[in-house]
Amino acid sequence: MTELRADRPGRFSDGRSAGVRKVVVRVLATGMEIRGIDGFLIAVWKTEDLRADGDWPEMKGVRLRCASEPDARLAVEDAYFIKDALPKVDEPRRRRIGLILGALLGAGVLAGLVLSLPMASRLAASLVPAGMERDWGRNIAAGFESQLRVCEGKAGRQALEGLIARLAEGLPADRRSITLHVIDRPDVNALALPGGDVILFAGLIAKADSPDEIAGVLGHELTHIGRRHVSAAMIRGMGVGVIATLITGDASGLVASGIGAALAGAYSRDDEAEADRGGMDLLERAGIGSDGMITFFRRLEDMEGKPGMLTQWLGTHPEAGARAAAIAALRRPAPHLPSMDESQWRSVKAICSKSPP
Amino acid sequence: MSEPQSPRPFTQSGGTLAMIRVALVNLGLSMVTLSLWRFWGRTRVRRLLWGGVSAWGDPVEYTGTGKELFMGFLMVLVVIYLPLALGFGWAQTLTAAGDPRGPLVISLLYFVTILLVAAGLYRARRYQMSRTRWRGIRGGQTGSALGYAARSLLVWLLLPLSLGWAWPWGEMMLARYRFNHTTFGDHPLSCDAHAGGLYGRFALVWLSGLGFLLIAGFAVWVAADAASIGQMDETVATGLVVVILLMVSVIVLALPWAWYRAGFYRRLAGGLSFQGARFAADFRTARLIRLVVGNMLISLFSLGILRPWAALRTFRYACSAIQVEGVPDFDAIHQNTETGPKAGEGLISVLDGAGEF
Ligand SMILES: [Zn+2]
Repeated sequence: MTELRADRPGRFSDGRSAGVRKVVVRVLATGMEIRGIDGFLIAVWKTEDLRADGDWPEMKGVRLRCASEPDARLAVEDAYFIKDALPKVDEPRRRRIGLILGALLGAGVLAGLVLSLPMASRLAASLVPAGMERDWGRNIAAGFESQLRVCEGKAGRQALEGLIARLAEGLPADRRSITLHVIDRPDVNALALPGGDVILFAGLIAKADSPDEIAGVLGHELTHIGRRHVSAAMIRGMGVGVIATLITGDASGLVASGIGAALAGAYSRDDEAEADRGGMDLLERAGIGSDGMITFFRRLEDMEGKPGMLTQWLGTHPEAGARAAAIAALRRPAPHLPSMDESQWRSVKAICSKSPP
Repeated sequence: MSEPQSPRPFTQSGGTLAMIRVALVNLGLSMVTLSLWRFWGRTRVRRLLWGGVSAWGDPVEYTGTGKELFMGFLMVLVVIYLPLALGFGWAQTLTAAGDPRGPLVISLLYFVTILLVAAGLYRARRYQMSRTRWRGIRGGQTGSALGYAARSLLVWLLLPLSLGWAWPWGEMMLARYRFNHTTFGDHPLSCDAHAGGLYGRFALVWLSGLGFLLIAGFAVWVAADAASIGQMDETVATGLVVVILLMVSVIVLALPWAWYRAGFYRRLAGGLSFQGARFAADFRTARLIRLVVGNMLISLFSLGILRPWAALRTFRYACSAIQVEGVPDFDAIHQNTETGPKAGEGLISVLDGAGEF
């Protein structure tokens, strides 16, 4: 006990200046007194305010702080015994619980974000002004047309535009004005741009065996436009980027675009299934029926196995076989009206020839 | 006062094993928390880095918290990163549509980004200094982050105009700005280092860079020649050129550069003074190369996981090399009333994904 109350030499900084002075520390039952070597009282620190501040290895001592004087620092020589006088703080355990809670909370928030992203982005897309969306789509279409050859077969365009107008009857009134662009590229592909622009590539027209197959593809793309899938996908992509950046802290965009590509595939599958179903509705409403769509998907399925073919639509629209089956299951017997007549179909097939018939 | 009159008052006595342990624990926790732990992990590393340093017998403290880093990160994500990402996205659609404003907006945004990175680096330093204490007294960083960013930009603009010769002047000017605005307590450091005597060393760097370009050009030409007349396979030739150039670059580029760096740091330290005490440092080229190469190997072979160890080596070396003539009048230095920014380092923790310690 006497040992405990003995005076110990130490070093003290008062937290007001950067100076340091030699002190004598006397441990009392309720705390400690810090006196200058001249015996002058400098400070009294209460036991409950004491905080451990590490060791003072050179002097076999400890460092201490005081909650009521947070800037002051004290180091006491030969004083490992003071450790016993310090209040015990169960810090590691509290921290571990905090960490587990934090991790769970973080994981929950993330899961919520990832799951609600498709819905949130659709909602956000519906808030984008229609004029802005339209301008944006036109800009992209103009970019295509300025860099690639445009197919200008007049009769063919008229036939396709007539077909589009028939199919668009089933879309909401403000989404019915569709602009068609036919591009002379061998890609078997079609694109729906935000707003109301549809791009058809010559390769797809060449691959189709009947106008009903083209009608199937158009029905699918028109549904993308009607439901603003492209704008929603753009917003979704940005959302994924932000979340990925938030988690990984990688602002170079490498991680974000990687995760974005992976998630975009999963998300877009829902869009595609919806576009298939919506496209079928449009086809049936126009009296064309979905047989053409099914045959076209079956043909794509045959192409899936063969490498080296230009099958871009497969790239963005994979698993054609499964989708053909899904549509076939939904297929209703419908009055079959021709999507266009024989001469119109011939002019569509010739839409990209340099001298239209 | 009986301060020890040591010309080398700084030591870093932190253990390598303790640091490696923290790095590995951080890795595990980062994986569990989808890397959100990194803010708290970085704080732990800094506690060890700072805490291992002692100056004139008293330890340095790092008082920042993971929460502050996290809040700073969130703030910048919303206020700066999102608008920038949106801006870049918009500019990209403009460019895709062939709009001439697109590239203009993109270069403007790059310009803004560079400016923000420089300002962010300065703010990060402000945060770190305000969370650094010694004898209970806070450090600080005054000056303007945007002013610093503008100066950095000036240097980057002059660099190509002067064929690189602006570098020593620019680098020293920026360092001078940083240190002249660094405070301890209520007193600033002062730095009058000049790049004047560095131009000899820089001339060697510049000439060896030119020499390397000539050698590289010659090697590529010889290899292309050999490949074209069929003496050598093209991939073998490319590989050979790369290997030879890498080996040459170590001697021709790295050695002069290390010599220059050692001179730069020595001059910078020599220009520093604080409250009547003059700093100096005997940075040596060979030891600097050993430090940098060792750190590179550590980072490379641990995939960046053991970078805290590399940082510890840097701290150790800096502490062992810095000398101080005379002891500052610490009793005359009082607590800094400025407590520094509330949240930490946001800008730089978003914009440089890597995140240094
Ligand atoms: Zn689709």
